[in-house]
Amino acid sequence: MRRQLRSRRAPSFPYSYRYRLDDPDEVNQNYLADEEEEAEEEARVTVVPKSEEEEEEEEKEEEEEEEKEEEEGQGQPTGNAWWQKLQIMNEYLWDPERRMFLARTGQSWSLILLIYFFFYASLAAVITLCMYTLFLTISPYIPTFTERVKPPGVMIRPFAHSLNFNFNVSEPDTWQHYVISLNGFLQGYNDSLQEEMNVDCPPGQYFIQDGNEDEDKKACQFKRSFLKNCSGLEDPTFGYSTGQPCILLKMNRVVGFRPELGDPVKVSCKVQRGDENDIRSISYYPESASFDLRYYPYYGKLTHVNYTSPLVAMHFTDVVKNQAVPVQCQLKGKGIINDVINDRFVGRVIFTLNIET
Amino acid sequence: MCFPLTTSWRAFHQTPEIYSVELSGTKDIVKTDKGDGKEKYRGLKNNCLELKKKNHTEEFQKELHLDDHKLSNRELEKKYGTDIITGLSSTRAAELLARDGPNSLTPPKQTPEIVKFLKQMVGGFSVLLWVGAFLCWIAFGIEYSSNKSASLNNVYLGSVLVLVVIFTGIFAYYQEAKSTNIMSSFKKMIPQQALVIRDSEKKTIPSEHLVVGDIVEVKGGDQIPADIRVLSSQGCRVDNSSLTGESEPQPRSSEFTHENPLETKNICFYSTTCLEGTVTGMVINTGDRTIIGHIASLASGVGNEKTPIAIEIEHFVHIVAGVAVSIGILFFIIAVSMNYRVLDSIIFLIGIIVANVPEGLLATVTVTLSLTAKRMAKKNCLVKNLEAVETLGSTSIICSDKTGTLTQNRMTVAHLWFDNQIFVADTSENHSNQVFDQSSRTWASLSKIITLCNRAEFKPGQENVPIMKKAVIGDASETALLKFSEVILGDVMAIRKRNRKVAEIPFNSTNKFQLSIHETDDPHDKRFLMVMKGAPERILEKCNTIMINGEEHPLDESTAKAFHTAYMELGGLGERVLGFCHLYLPAHEFPETYKFDTDAMNFPTSNLCFVGLLSMIDPPRSTVPDAVTKCRSAGIKVIMVTGDHPITAKAIAKSVGIISANSETVEDIARRLSIAVEQVNKWDAKAAVVTGMELKDMSSEQVDEILANYQEIVFARTSPQQKLIIVEGCQRQDAVVAVTGDGVNDSPALKKADIGVAMGIAGSDAAKNAADMVLLDDNFASIVTGVEEGRLIFDNLKKTIAYTLTKNIAELCPFLIYIIVGLPLPIGTITILFIDLGTDIIPSIALAYEKAESDIMNRKPRHKKKDRLVNQPLAVYSYLHIGLMQALGAFLVYFTVYAQEGFLPRTLINLRVEWEKDFVNDLEDSYGQEWTRYQRAYLEWTGYTAFFVGILVQQIADLIIRKTRRNSIFQQGAFRNKVIWVGIASQIIIGLVLSYGLGSVTALSFTMLRAQYWFVAVPHAILIWVYDEVRKLFIRLYPGSWWDKNMYY
Repeated sequence: MRRQLRSRRAPSFPYSYRYRLDDPDEVNQNYLADEEEEAEEEARVTVVPKSEEEEEEEEKEEEEEEEKEEEEGQGQPTGNAWWQKLQIMNEYLWDPERRMFLARTGQSWSLILLIYFFFYASLAAVITLCMYTLFLTISPYIPTFTERVKPPGVMIRPFAHSLNFNFNVSEPDTWQHYVISLNGFLQGYNDSLQEEMNVDCPPGQYFIQDGNEDEDKKACQFKRSFLKNCSGLEDPTFGYSTGQPCILLKMNRVVGFRPELGDPVKVSCKVQRGDENDIRSISYYPESASFDLRYYPYYGKLTHVNYTSPLVAMHFTDVVKNQAVPVQCQLKGKGIINDVINDRFVGRVIFTLNIET
Repeated sequence: MCFPLTTSWRAFHQTPEIYSVELSGTKDIVKTDKGDGKEKYRGLKNNCLELKKKNHTEEFQKELHLDDHKLSNRELEKKYGTDIITGLSSTRAAELLARDGPNSLTPPKQTPEIVKFLKQMVGGFSVLLWVGAFLCWIAFGIEYSSNKSASLNNVYLGSVLVLVVIFTGIFAYYQEAKSTNIMSSFKKMIPQQALVIRDSEKKTIPSEHLVVGDIVEVKGGDQIPADIRVLSSQGCRVDNSSLTGESEPQPRSSEFTHENPLETKNICFYSTTCLEGTVTGMVINTGDRTIIGHIASLASGVGNEKTPIAIEIEHFVHIVAGVAVSIGILFFIIAVSMNYRVLDSIIFLIGIIVANVPEGLLATVTVTLSLTAKRMAKKNCLVKNLEAVETLGSTSIICSDKTGTLTQNRMTVAHLWFDNQIFVADTSENHSNQVFDQSSRTWASLSKIITLCNRAEFKPGQENVPIMKKAVIGDASETALLKFSEVILGDVMAIRKRNRKVAEIPFNSTNKFQLSIHETDDPHDKRFLMVMKGAPERILEKCNTIMINGEEHPLDESTAKAFHTAYMELGGLGERVLGFCHLYLPAHEFPETYKFDTDAMNFPTSNLCFVGLLSMIDPPRSTVPDAVTKCRSAGIKVIMVTGDHPITAKAIAKSVGIISANSETVEDIARRLSIAVEQVNKWDAKAAVVTGMELKDMSSEQVDEILANYQEIVFARTSPQQKLIIVEGCQRQDAVVAVTGDGVNDSPALKKADIGVAMGIAGSDAAKNAADMVLLDDNFASIVTGVEEGRLIFDNLKKTIAYTLTKNIAELCPFLIYIIVGLPLPIGTITILFIDLGTDIIPSIALAYEKAESDIMNRKPRHKKKDRLVNQPLAVYSYLHIGLMQALGAFLVYFTVYAQEGFLPRTLINLRVEWEKDFVNDLEDSYGQEWTRYQRAYLEWTGYTAFFVGILVQQIADLIIRKTRRNSIFQQGAFRNKVIWVGIASQIIIGLVLSYGLGSVTALSFTMLRAQYWFVAVPHAILIWVYDEVRKLFIRLYPGSWWDKNMYY
């Protein structure tokens, strides 16, 4: 080592290869490198402290504001990982030094909020325009398509969340709510009301009203009295008190629906499963057990304001008591579909009667 | 003495001592075993590395006592209880085998396949989906316990979710397994059989059965079966490249020549190859206790770093999962406080999770990565670990090995000096273009010496092989000379035949020259020609004349000075220099019948005629300088880490551009200014050459300082641990580090690196095993391709993720609106899955085929912590801009369908409760029509389909805008990436099939949608495209502006 240092002070000799021939054993110049390295090494060590300071200074200058956060986090001992994270989080939420909330200054926040406000305002304008255009293409009077709601469904009244009619004739409490429900439902069918609001149109034919679709349409009368024994006028308990319940059947309204070929839709009920004789007799009101053609077509809620859905009342005058009787009432007529597997309310309705005495 | 890098006392005692065995390049020519060698390797011997794993340090401790090379044969016999003549007895051998175990390396632990599979099952979003599935089943369970006729929908949904998890898991596992090329590790390196003396008999036994104390015989071509102490040898040379990376043959004999067991001649190492000669030795270490075993365990002790892309994806999963869970829980609370049943709220929660989680994305990422892996394999980068595909792209520092990676790994004649002139020889791979002046008569003489004074020969049967590829028997220098002369002069063997050799003194370390005497090919010239080559100064000593332009001139001061100048210049290039001289023996003194006796030396070996110098180097590969330049422009720092000498390393570094032409090291500055090195401000220098010895005394802060401050760094004479230290130093700089290497000595660093790149041809199995990527053509330039592909895939993954995230909002909003506003559910969970796993998959993969927007090789590598895969602008832009627009567009389709069927938007508000009551079969719509429950359900499904179609149509626009992040679509070329259009077609076809083909399958809740509804969202799609074009326009117009910062992802 000493020898090398000495030789370094002999600048006349080319630096790298000065020992080439000094040492006859060292044939390859590569060996020189090692000696050289040791000298370099020494040189470096002496310079280090100074350069470290310099470097630090440089780093500080170069350090961008953005990096600060990260480096601070890294600089701390790893033991406090959670504390560190919490601090970073805290600083992220509110950095008092730079007055930044969620890494944005107030100015930045107001700018971004403004921009988003405008962006969303214009999006809102766009969607409003789209919806407006949509409404332009849609008539408020007549739906564009009705194929999903056809064929019409069927519903019965009274209806109280269930299609099982369980009641005890001798306990009015068990059937009173049916009566109330029916009474309520039939308020709109009161003869006086119907006569006042609606016209008595000729039966057996469609009540077709030409004219613009936005013109008000007249509606045909369907009087409560058409239901005779089931109207609740003669028997205010609709037969429930005698174990002969009335059930009203209503076909779902569908705009423009007309039973085909002038054949009114009929209703027929029978036992769905089990002994057919469980129902020995049913009376239908109106006696035709059908929905008269004059109630069709329906022109829609907006113009056909007082339209009254026609009803068929089924009076189960003689049903086996004290057992559940599943009843299926179907619509019958040309073009009527009543056997859709998935939808048990299209063209038919199934309910059970369980009348106890 | 041991200088641990940390002050830990424990480390001081437990650190292993692994020696660097990089040798000077001239061992075959000149062997120096003088005492100063001790000093030379002092530093390396004392390498200390604190290993974090205690068990490893304990294992290494044993190694500290390797002193067998110092023992005499008798002491050895005593120590190992064996006999050099008779060997071990079989019973003793069996005992030892039972004690020490077989002589084989424990293969690195493999993760069991089942664990890998299960990891895929629970990784990423899978956990969320599992939770969702279980919630579904729990919800059903609760419902079922109160109502036996509860609908099975929840069970189906749960099962579907589980199926999704399992399928994506299986898919990811399959992809991973397909592309993970698990190479059987060190096993291949074990020689199958070993010739051993036991019970006084020579036996051939499987080398696994070797035990310490066995006497083995190894002949040329065999692999050394264990660490052996040489007892006797005949001309044995070994190739230690599997250990050191340098393939210089090294002689082995029974003499103890060096304190350092790795330097001494009398120990051969396990897994190295015996090139020639035979050796008899005693086994002193077997299996994992061998040196190679130590390095191997060092490699396995180094933990696998998570790849950057894995970190990025984890980050992304955290973001998305965080959003999903927090929105889910928020709305769960909202739903509960809005008096929804808890059960329903759970169902909402599931819906929100499903909507938020991009189920198909991880599978897409896997596919994308494997597509790139395939593409890279075509370009000779074999990716072992899929995620490593991207890692190369984010690489900011490449630590490259020199030999074999940057260089051709073969000695080649680089320069010649004769007639007082230096000539440059062609060092390119095929040597085709030798342009130096060959007319001089000096050259004729020199070429004759080169040809004749050479013992190397081509192996037979290679007539059709190009000269440079022919296999040669002989050492590296002689091979270089042989090939050089064969290229220039033609058939060397024929020339040698014409100049019959009559005597020869092969090279040995005392003479430091090689000599042979030949008859001349001139029939009239009866003189003998004596040719000699060797160490230049030795040769010069023997000469008194020098040949210039074919004339012999007396060797005077000036010619000697010219010689020295040339010698130094060539030496300064890091080249190995040989001198050549000859002498025509006078015919009268040496008649034709003269008997030359090489032992008695009855011929003159002085007063010869000096002819010329020739220098050799392992030249850089021709493609490397270009590749290094490309790395530079890509902002990647290329650091050379080699076991070779600093001067050679620096020379190669300069010639390939790792140290650029105009940058200086501290030493260069010192020399230029003729001042001492100490006086130079060391930060003035741009480049640095750091040796292992300097490195060992540095603290990690000093290492950091060097790595941070010098642009161009060469580490020379480094040991495996030091490579590790360098890699760790780079990683402390937040750099993504790629390490290239081929030797076993590189394997710890390869493992430690973010991406280890092993050489496919020259690489040892250990290196390949530790690496994540294998360069099939050993070409550094292939790395550049890898970098390019890696960067592209990162960009494209960003696009894919942005594309995929966008629709999440469109899928999420329906649930939120459904809960808050009470609309009939706009889109079902199953439908969402059909988008995520159906229509969106192929388009998002198609984005992987997107070409780069600009020259990605001209920008800096991404910052590991700042340039995230999913950053705030990406999430915000995807979620709050495009996602929201998409949601609006999809709602428009939904409202259109409902309105045209009879439910105007205002009717829909708060309709949810009535709508979903099963017993309400006459629900009135806006027109007074009455709907049964099933009719409503069917309409609801139509709504799903409509919403689905709305998203689909807008996703097409989304796909198109995601093609670029900055450039306009027109700049990028809308039709350049054909796969995008395949993706769009697939999207539409899948949509059509779902709607019209499977529309009748109830469980899928798709219906046949009227054709016109497909076009409702088209204006929105166009709006999205226009909006994004405007965004990109502003980004291009105002780079660095607020807009750029907030809107560029």
